[in-house]
Amino acid sequence: MRAKREDLFPLIEPLLSKVERPSRYLDHEWGACEEQDGPFHVCLVYADVYEVGQPNLGLAILYKCINAVEGMSCERAYLPWTDMISLMRERGVPLLSLECAAPLASFDVVGFTLAHELVATNVLETLDLAGIPLTSAERAEDDPLVVAGGPSVWNCEPLAPVFDAVLLGDGEEGLVDICAAIRDCRDVGMPRQEILLRLAQVPGVYVPSLYDVVVDETTTRWGKAVPREGTGAPAVVRKRCMGDFAGTDPLAQDIVPYLGIVQDRLAVEVLRGCARGCRFCQAGMTYRPVRERPAEQVVTAAEEGLARTGYDEVSLTSLSTTDHSQCAQILHELNAATAGKGVRVSIPSQRLDSFGVEMAGEVAGAKRSGLTFAPEAGTQRLRDVINKNVSEQDLETAATNAFEHGWRRMKLYYMMGLPTETDEDVVAIPASAERVMQLGRRIVGPHKGVAVSISVAVFVPKAHTPFQWCGQLWPEEVERRQRILVGSNHDRAIRVTYHDAGTSLVEGAVSKLGRRGFDLVYRAWELGCLFDAWTSEFRLDLWRQAAADVGLDLADVACEQFELDAVLPWDHTSPGVSKGFLQREWRRAMQGVTTPDCTRDSCQGCGVCPSLGVDNVVWGERS
Amino acid sequence: MMDSLHRLRVEYGKDDRLAYLGHLEVIGTVQRSVRRAGLPFSIGNGFARRMRIQFSQALPVGASSACEYYDVYLEDRIDPDEALELLAAATPPGLAPVRAAYVDPHQDALEAWLTRATWDCVLVGQGLAPVAWTRATAAVRAKGSLRYLRGDKEKTVQLASTLVSADFSPSEEGLRLALETRNTPEGSLRPGVLVEAARELLGAEAGIMDTLRVRRVWQSHEETDGSLVEPL
Ligand code: SF4
Repeated sequence: MRAKREDLFPLIEPLLSKVERPSRYLDHEWGACEEQDGPFHVCLVYADVYEVGQPNLGLAILYKCINAVEGMSCERAYLPWTDMISLMRERGVPLLSLECAAPLASFDVVGFTLAHELVATNVLETLDLAGIPLTSAERAEDDPLVVAGGPSVWNCEPLAPVFDAVLLGDGEEGLVDICAAIRDCRDVGMPRQEILLRLAQVPGVYVPSLYDVVVDETTTRWGKAVPREGTGAPAVVRKRCMGDFAGTDPLAQDIVPYLGIVQDRLAVEVLRGCARGCRFCQAGMTYRPVRERPAEQVVTAAEEGLARTGYDEVSLTSLSTTDHSQCAQILHELNAATAGKGVRVSIPSQRLDSFGVEMAGEVAGAKRSGLTFAPEAGTQRLRDVINKNVSEQDLETAATNAFEHGWRRMKLYYMMGLPTETDEDVVAIPASAERVMQLGRRIVGPHKGVAVSISVAVFVPKAHTPFQWCGQLWPEEVERRQRILVGSNHDRAIRVTYHDAGTSLVEGAVSKLGRRGFDLVYRAWELGCLFDAWTSEFRLDLWRQAAADVGLDLADVACEQFELDAVLPWDHTSPGVSKGFLQREWRRAMQGVTTPDCTRDSCQGCGVCPSLGVDNVVWGERS
Repeated sequence: MMDSLHRLRVEYGKDDRLAYLGHLEVIGTVQRSVRRAGLPFSIGNGFARRMRIQFSQALPVGASSACEYYDVYLEDRIDPDEALELLAAATPPGLAPVRAAYVDPHQDALEAWLTRATWDCVLVGQGLAPVAWTRATAAVRAKGSLRYLRGDKEKTVQLASTLVSADFSPSEEGLRLALETRNTPEGSLRPGVLVEAARELLGAEAGIMDTLRVRRVWQSHEETDGSLVEPL
């Protein structure tokens, strides 16, 4: 029996005075869709606390898309923080949606966004707190259909047993199609198993329970997923892609939170996709092709959004905003339109080679706190390997532009453990930060608060990238190189931070594993792993124990190199980029040969456009 | 510069579940409401270019109120009723504005100017005896000052100046406390702090208090002669 749909806020209210940040659980924000008449009810979940999940633009887009459909209603849910979870478990209060405070288990569809690999144990916790069986196989006829989508579906095998269906690619139409299919099937009383068969026919939808994992001589030890005979499920599920991106609503965010959230500002997605071709970047490969919104649309949407939400900051978001062919024009027009209103215009991170003088003058209006650049590697040789087509000169020019236009603080992002990396590449990281620091001191003045910091992440090989075959760097070696990094920084004013090797190790293992990864995730959750993306909560010891309990070793999994011709655990899902292209890119990487950006050069044959029937959409000229 | 601006005072409530908003969350929400309302607010000259706006003293998280205030400085003088209407349409119902009027731009900062508050508190529970609680509160007051923890910081509040009166009476849910407090430059008394001190003193005699419900019902300015001036 499906849980009853009822308002259970009175069960939560007495707990509010006992927990940290009660505003996480209030709902009633400005812009929230309080009319939730259904009759078909969907709840979208971000399995982390409110302030982390609420800014997620993908969820905001889907919330709006579903609520716009006649007869469908969409609510939100987040994972409560540990203090609230304990109280709820103690008193037998199930997880509720925000808008109607209805039990999650009463919904027709519960949809998760998978933002990264470390959310896995939180997904299990969410379902368990909701009283929904954790795996598709255990769910009863009437239970909600549990679906997933988002940037991290590209190796969803470790969570595959959890989901009834997984949507690959853009969700604007895909998720609505899934919901409509479920609604239609439920309307005619179709049994759950048949609903799953039906969902497998929806383009872009992967139904894990219809696939068997087969290990043979062509695969890695994690095997491949093969559709079971007679199910009609496709051998390879190709992603959904909104070719006419400019035809989608540019203003997805309606809800204005009370709580200071992670990105507390209006976001306008100015373009989708990036064709720079960085070889480590999963988003770069999986969000192709590049689709820009025209400048007028962005400017009008931003103005309208500011008026509608009352935000005093608008962020022009995308994978690479400064690459937008009309970026300078957009910034200029937006600054002119908001002049005198105390509004900031910001962009999330800047490409070194496209952050020109014009942009330096326009970003962030009056408040120029910090600027971030991502050279990713310290030497030109290694940058060529990863296809990060920027030079030391680009870094110096961008830094000069920024310092000359009033910036004082600069943060540089790098990665450690990239294929072919040597100690020389590591030592070069602080060296280039020092050059930036010297530039800053020369331009701004020696005691004017110039600050440069470097943040070094551990490279984690991801599915559907040219580096998907790589092994991750062994943890002991990560630690050795981190010592070299710190030891070779001679300027005490440069702050060096690096990612925890343990977190990266778990991320690496979960990124590599096939469906057997579920045993690991499940065991880790059983042992108490939760909020793994939070440094304060992450427990490497428990993850190690979980791995041992299921007969795995985290490093052995994460650091394994796959054969270039092996069938991979995620080969049955496709973002449209062909495996041949990825193999070619891997070979070019090993030769140190770079590949140009197809929005600036000719088509490089990645396969996305012909296979999905889409094209790059660029409104101006990309420099 | 400030002389050419118009200081609009807005009275609003903090109700229902929005009682659980923290002070910073209220500030952020009100500022966004003012922007959404399209009022001709003034922007400060500082580096951060913030809206010129002042708020009455922070309410404890969980406390509701019938009488919160903010003063927003406007560049143009628009009809206060019209401003109120625009704000009402742009504010979440739990923080709905109820009155608005222009006040003297030279008056002290709002938070310092509002020196008196009346609280209606309900101690929800069983076995809470008005006599015992009145006695305990008098004993707490007789000590002169009260030390308490806020987060992990130790604070002291002088009761002689900040506690004006405290009257307990029976209520359906337990015990009702009508409390009058005074804010001084040295500090102010939060209802929860007083109730907690009395409870500690009473020990087992206190009865069982499940929750303390706090509502601020009136704020005003106290002149040197003791007379009270309404904010609007
Ligand atoms: S198919 Fe060609 S044009 Fe399209 S994204 Fe790939 S490389 Fe670029």
